[in-house]
Amino acid sequence: MLRTEGLGYWYQDKEQPLFQDINLEFEEGQSYAILGHSGTGKTTFLSLIAGLDKPREGDIFLNDRSLKQIGLTNYRRHDVAIVFQAYNLFNYMSPLNNLLTAMAITDASHAGDRGYAQRVLNDLGIGDDLITRNVQRLSGGQQQRVAIARTMCCDAKLVVADEPTGNLDEDNTKEVIDQFQRIAHEQQKCVIIVTHEPDVAARCDHQYRLENKQFVRLA
Amino acid sequence: MNFFKRAWLNVWAKKGRSVLLILVSSAILMFVLAGLLIRSAAVKATETAKTDAGATMTLSANRQAAFKKMQSSSSSSSSKSSRPKLTLTPVKLSDAKSIAKLSNIKNYNVTSSTTANAKSYDTVSTSTGMGGNSSGGPGGMKSTSSSSGDTQIDGVTSTALTTDFTDSQSKITKGRGIKASDKGTNNVVIEKELASQNNLTVGDTMTIKETTGSKSTLKVKVVGIYKASSTSSASAGPMSTDPANTIYASYTLANTIKGSKYAGTADSVTFNVTNPAKASATKKAGNKLISSKYSLSTDDSSYQSIKASMNNVEGFANKIVWLVAIAGTIILALIVILMIRERRFEIGVLLSLGEARWKIVAQFFTEMLMVIVIALAIAGVGGKFVGNQLGSQLVSQSTTTQTTSSGTSSQPGGGGQPGGSGGSGMRGGAGGPGSTTSSAKTKNPDLEIAVSAVDLAELGGFGLAITFLSIMIASGGILRLEPKKILIS
Ligand SMILES: Nc1ncnc2c1ncn2[C@@H]1O[C@H](COP(=O)(O)OP(=O)(O)OP(=O)(O)O)[C@@H](O)[C@H]1O
Ligand SMILES: [Mg+2]
Repeated sequence: MLRTEGLGYWYQDKEQPLFQDINLEFEEGQSYAILGHSGTGKTTFLSLIAGLDKPREGDIFLNDRSLKQIGLTNYRRHDVAIVFQAYNLFNYMSPLNNLLTAMAITDASHAGDRGYAQRVLNDLGIGDDLITRNVQRLSGGQQQRVAIARTMCCDAKLVVADEPTGNLDEDNTKEVIDQFQRIAHEQQKCVIIVTHEPDVAARCDHQYRLENKQFVRLA
Repeated sequence: MNFFKRAWLNVWAKKGRSVLLILVSSAILMFVLAGLLIRSAAVKATETAKTDAGATMTLSANRQAAFKKMQSSSSSSSSKSSRPKLTLTPVKLSDAKSIAKLSNIKNYNVTSSTTANAKSYDTVSTSTGMGGNSSGGPGGMKSTSSSSGDTQIDGVTSTALTTDFTDSQSKITKGRGIKASDKGTNNVVIEKELASQNNLTVGDTMTIKETTGSKSTLKVKVVGIYKASSTSSASAGPMSTDPANTIYASYTLANTIKGSKYAGTADSVTFNVTNPAKASATKKAGNKLISSKYSLSTDDSSYQSIKASMNNVEGFANKIVWLVAIAGTIILALIVILMIRERRFEIGVLLSLGEARWKIVAQFFTEMLMVIVIALAIAGVGGKFVGNQLGSQLVSQSTTTQTTSSGTSSQPGGGGQPGGSGGSGMRGGAGGPGSTTSSAKTKNPDLEIAVSAVDLAELGGFGLAITFLSIMIASGGILRLEPKKILIS
């Protein structure tokens, strides 16, 4: 589904790229974990496949169409859903309105369907008492679940997350990873998670480690 | 359009911030409105000044020509008299009538002055003790008679048309003023002090005595009593009679006292001009109708001074409008820039969802628009107040400027006016009675500050422009923001 070809990126110095000549493939219905030491370029890599930045070298293909062809804004709107470590939500809205807003912007097939958004939230343990409350009055774990619910409501087949459990305790972490697994297996989406935590990585279908400018596949 | 909903949700959820923005915007718009109000009031006041202050054109004997004639005659026969006499030809009323037919002439006032002596009553003597009953004015400038009486007779067509009355320096307190229909009658209007000193009231008769010719006596009937203001008595020179001894009558009565050869003449005729802006063109047209023995002079100084001071106010108001608009745009732009920085995560999420940048700008614009609409309403109420305060301040300031410059009788520069106050000391002089001499006491029109639909529309335009510009300036930040920034933070 998603394929990188000779992907390379550097910030200032071309001679010191973060990674180089990366050729990877990600499939629908599978979850992938990306591990690596701090500062190796995991977030940078994620920003490229999320369409938030352009590669310096090589190209990324979605179903054999290059992102350049698709256009980054268009790609972000229709093909990829992103979960950040924090600040995922519109802080002046309720969980329900956050979902409805994202569905409207991304032209999701369920756009405007409050009932659908409500069911998805309920499914993730955001009860009816919480869904119309301002998101700032939700716990970190609840907020992160709302962000995950958002990716479930939108049609994008690719879901990327940058340390989505970085701010969460053990129980919430487990809960969130379960949801990502459901997205991959039940919704048949491709989930790519950057994480520091080996436990989190272990629960994904595939694991990669970024070291020495290369992605190394772990057993 | 999803951004409308987002804008509304944001404005509603962040009420505190919205209220602050509304307050700042109201303050800015209030000053813009104050400027707009003062400007439109100044424009209106200038319009009114055209008709109210008006301009006058005076037909009188050509002093220059007469003076030349006198000089030449005195040089040719210098032995005859040590003191050559200046003979001024009285104005013919037929000339006045033909000038009055010009299109820009509203109406006219004939003035003919003379003096007479009191017979059945006592004249008022000036309280300073300086006033004798002897002299009518400084020097032998009088054209009408060489010997002067103790009572000044100001013959007019209508007292309502004389400057003293139009300026409200004199006011009718009892009875009525002299009217055009008093022509040929012996009706007079006397001063309050003279009336009370002699126990005279409306309906009484009094007797005066001519100073020349047969020196016959004349019975006149009091039809009205007027009160001269203290200003007019203060302006009288030490040698003149007390102003209270001035009696207004029809010009025909004054002519009768002067003598039969003065019938159908006048010292001067003052025409009120309809459109002061065209006064000089009217003067040109009028000059074609009269002989060189006479001259026409225009006085639009009060119009000019009002125009000048209102132009000042208008110019100042314009500057306020633009300064406040520019400053307001900068202030709002800075606030919006700060707001955008604070909302960079939200912008990052929107961009990561694939939202178009222009729609994000549109959301901010819509939010500001909601704020501005409420601010407009507040400013509409408050601007009138600020405008009133500022307006009265401005007018009193420009009046001060005027008084200063008229005291030095300067050119009309910087809101000043040509001084004319020197003339009012010359009562009974060559220009005729005070009615023809321009008085410098131009009343500045009060600025009428009222909020009209046009003002509000203009304010709305400014509000929109300020909002639009400040969002445009600030949107550089939105357009430059990379969604990746919120990933790596
Ligand atoms: N905008 C930037 N300009 C220059 N250098 C940058 C920029 N963003 C990141 N870097 C550098 O690039 C390297 C990779 O950054 P990146 O955020 O991708 O690392 P990471 O693997 O996600 O690290 P972490 O695990 O700590 O999140 C780091 O050394 C970082 O300092
Ligand atoms: Mg990172």
